[in-house]
Order: sequence, then structure tokens, then C-alpha cells
Amino acid sequence: MISFLGASLILFSTSWMGFAMAKKVKERPKQLRELKVALQSLEAEIMYGHVPLDEAFGHLSRQLNEPIAAFFGELAGALQETASSVPILWEEALTRLAERSSLKKAELEVLQQFGSTLGRHDRDNQKRHIQLTLSHLERELDEATAAVATYEKLYKSVGVLSGLLLIILLI
Amino acid sequence: MGFDVNVVFQIAGLGIIVAMLHSVLKMIGKEDYAHWVTLLGFIVALFIVISLLSDLFQKVKSVFLFQN
Repeated sequence: MISFLGASLILFSTSWMGFAMAKKVKERPKQLRELKVALQSLEAEIMYGHVPLDEAFGHLSRQLNEPIAAFFGELAGALQETASSVPILWEEALTRLAERSSLKKAELEVLQQFGSTLGRHDRDNQKRHIQLTLSHLERELDEATAAVATYEKLYKSVGVLSGLLLIILLI
Repeated sequence: MGFDVNVVFQIAGLGIIVAMLHSVLKMIGKEDYAHWVTLLGFIVALFIVISLLSDLFQKVKSVFLFQN
């Protein structure tokens, strides 16, 4: 009886780990798409709306969905409260975003480089930086969508199967 | 005969699950990992068999050499 309970616990926890990793893989393209939308509307706000950055970030956080929305909301709040420069605040918010989201190092690096250009150039150069970041994100998105098809299935089945293997070895 | 049938089932289950892991990994396109998993499963099965064999040899020794 007690061994049965332990076996089901092992199976449950390894399957859960597998499913959590699969979910992380599945979330990544969604969040990348969200980021692209964010940058496109940021470009529109800068080019056509002439909106200051803190207001633009506030608009973005209202338009978007969770982890990314919280990132821009945090930035908007920090910009209104402190007198620190945008790249520093951007980097701080980015480290918090990295913990919450399933984004990988590659796109975080791209975003960090983009943040260091924010608020330094005139509108045309800023637009060029946004376009560059968008093309980088596009490439990451292609890679992430390709990874979903294979790795989601892999993580799920490996989670369940490794639980079964562990149970058989321990019985 | 005090032979434990459970061990046979254990090895059989090990084989089935390692084969499934192998096919999943191969389907994904990770042949190298698939081979490592199979090799590890084989080694574990070998350890189980070796412990059974050592039991057998102990028994043979205790019958013919009058030791325990």
C-alpha cells in the first residue's frame, strides 16, 4: 500500500516536471510574438504619436498580455517615479522579466541591446534600431516555433517514461 | 526453488520502457541521446542479472564446498 503511494507520487512529480517544461517551450513563441507587437506599437507611438517613453510604456502594458505587460508596466512606473536613465531601468526590468517568462538568453540579449539604445537617438535612428530588433526577434521566433513541434512532445513523454523507469528500478 | 519471479518482470519492464524512450528520442531526431539511454538501460539490466548470478555462484559454492 505504502509503496503504491510512493510510486504514484514519483510518477506524478516526474510527469509534472515534463509537462511544466513542455509548457515553457510552448509559451516562448507566444511571448516572442507579443514582444514583436509591443515593439511595433512602440515604433508607432514614437514615430506618429510623439509620445514620451513612460506614457508609451503605459499604453503598451495596457494593450498586451501577461509577462510582457508586467514588464512594460514596471518600466512605466519606474520611469515616472525615479530620475534614473532608461537603459538602467530597462535592464533591471529585463532581469525580472527573465525570471517570469520563458524567454531564452538569445532574445534577452537582443532586448538588452535594444534597451541601451532607447532614448539616445532621434526618431529616425530609433526607428532603425526598432527595425533591427524586430528582425532579430523574427529569427528567434522562427527558431522557437520549430522547437515547439519537437520538444513539447519530447518533454511530455520523457517525463512520464522516466517516472515509470524510476518506479520499476525502485520496486 | 526460491526464485523471485518479480525480477524477471522488472527486467522486462525496464526493457519496454527503455525501448519506448529510444523510439521517442529517435522520432525527435536525437539519435545520440537515444543510444545513450539504451546503453544505460542495458547496463542497469546487466547489474540486476549480475546480482542474480552472484547468488547462483554463492549457492554452488555452499553446495559443493560446504561453506555458507
